[in-house]
Amino acid sequence: MSEQLSTQEFRQTSVKKIAVASVASLGIAILVFVGAVLPAEYGVDPLGTGDALGLLALSQVAAISAEASEYKRDFSELKLRPSEWAEYTYRLEEGATMLYSWTASGVVAYNFHSAPDGAPPGYAESFDAQESDSAHGSYSAPFTGVHGWYWENLGQEEVTISLSTTGFYRDAHEARDRVDGYHSLMDIHGKSLQDGSK
Amino acid sequence: MTAVAASVTLAAHPMDTQNAAFVQGVSGPAPAPFMYLGAKHMVTGYDHLLFLVGVIFFLYRLRDVLLYVSLFTLGHSATLLLGVLGGIEVNAFLIDAIIGLSVCYKAFENMAGFERIFGRRPNTKGAVFVFGLFHGMGLATKLQEFTVTENGLVANIVSFNVGVEMGQILALTAVLIVVTYWRTWPSFLRHSFLANAVLMGGGFILTVQQVFGYVFYS
Repeated sequence: MSEQLSTQEFRQTSVKKIAVASVASLGIAILVFVGAVLPAEYGVDPLGTGDALGLLALSQVAAISAEASEYKRDFSELKLRPSEWAEYTYRLEEGATMLYSWTASGVVAYNFHSAPDGAPPGYAESFDAQESDSAHGSYSAPFTGVHGWYWENLGQEEVTISLSTTGFYRDAHEARDRVDGYHSLMDIHGKSLQDGSK
Repeated sequence: MTAVAASVTLAAHPMDTQNAAFVQGVSGPAPAPFMYLGAKHMVTGYDHLLFLVGVIFFLYRLRDVLLYVSLFTLGHSATLLLGVLGGIEVNAFLIDAIIGLSVCYKAFENMAGFERIFGRRPNTKGAVFVFGLFHGMGLATKLQEFTVTENGLVANIVSFNVGVEMGQILALTAVLIVVTYWRTWPSFLRHSFLANAVLMGGGFILTVQQVFGYVFYS
């Protein structure tokens, strides 16, 4: 069997050589781990090699991403009669983030979707489509365009949706059966901004 | 010593977050994506690759390559299926540490370490099979780190496993080409002892890293 062949070459190798090679490989492994892997992967740098070689930078995660555009807040209440729908969207640049929370007085069908700038009319990418009476989370725009919710009242009663968002968006835009227009936003102090009406 | 807050990549090679989000979101059988994930895991998984390099290092005949790789495959398929179906969760750090040690073991065996130092060598086929079991447990833990839904579970694990085998064939072919070419050099035998020592060192790095993770992060 060729498995016998496998180590035939080393049959004559001295015990000392094998032992030295094994111990040395363990020693070098520990050195590489402490000197390179620890600083690069875990940000721990006991030997100072991570600092000297610039490996520490690899372990630093960008926890903060600064935004250049203005911080906005928006609260909106939408009333939907049975089988009525509404769409509420924001303009976000690529990478801009938004925190959101909405609750409804009854279960509604919703769809969070985004349409990139320049996309053909009616084109949108859907990120979350369900039936629920609330949703909360954060959103980071994968592309520049309009991003927001479509809600539809599936029940027999009027439903009120309370939406609250903060983030780095520009306009808020509401569209529904009858109403179609821009909403004014608030700045960090809660003062109304007219920035949205363009 | 600089203390830096870091989000740590602990697993030897975790699926990236986008893939994880997919696995969590999927419901029902999705053969192609799971096959892709299995294959990707194998092709980019240096722990499995290093072990395979060790296994085929001295296998000159295709028949032997197929025999040993089949044993390895049998082992890891068994524990992958049983692990996920039985919901057996073993600490990922410990499994990955053993996978690292499997590389060291194979390198030591290639260096004739067992017969020269301990007088006899344990059965090589048995060892490959047993380490295959551990590699499969590693695969099972990776897959279970993401809540895989019951719906279509069996189909998806089987797809993942098929993908693992496909990835393994791809990786093995690449490794075989390199090793076979290397063997045509007169220096192959001269350097093969050193090569196995380096392989062992690679296994030790993986092991030490996982033990560190087990001690400080689990």
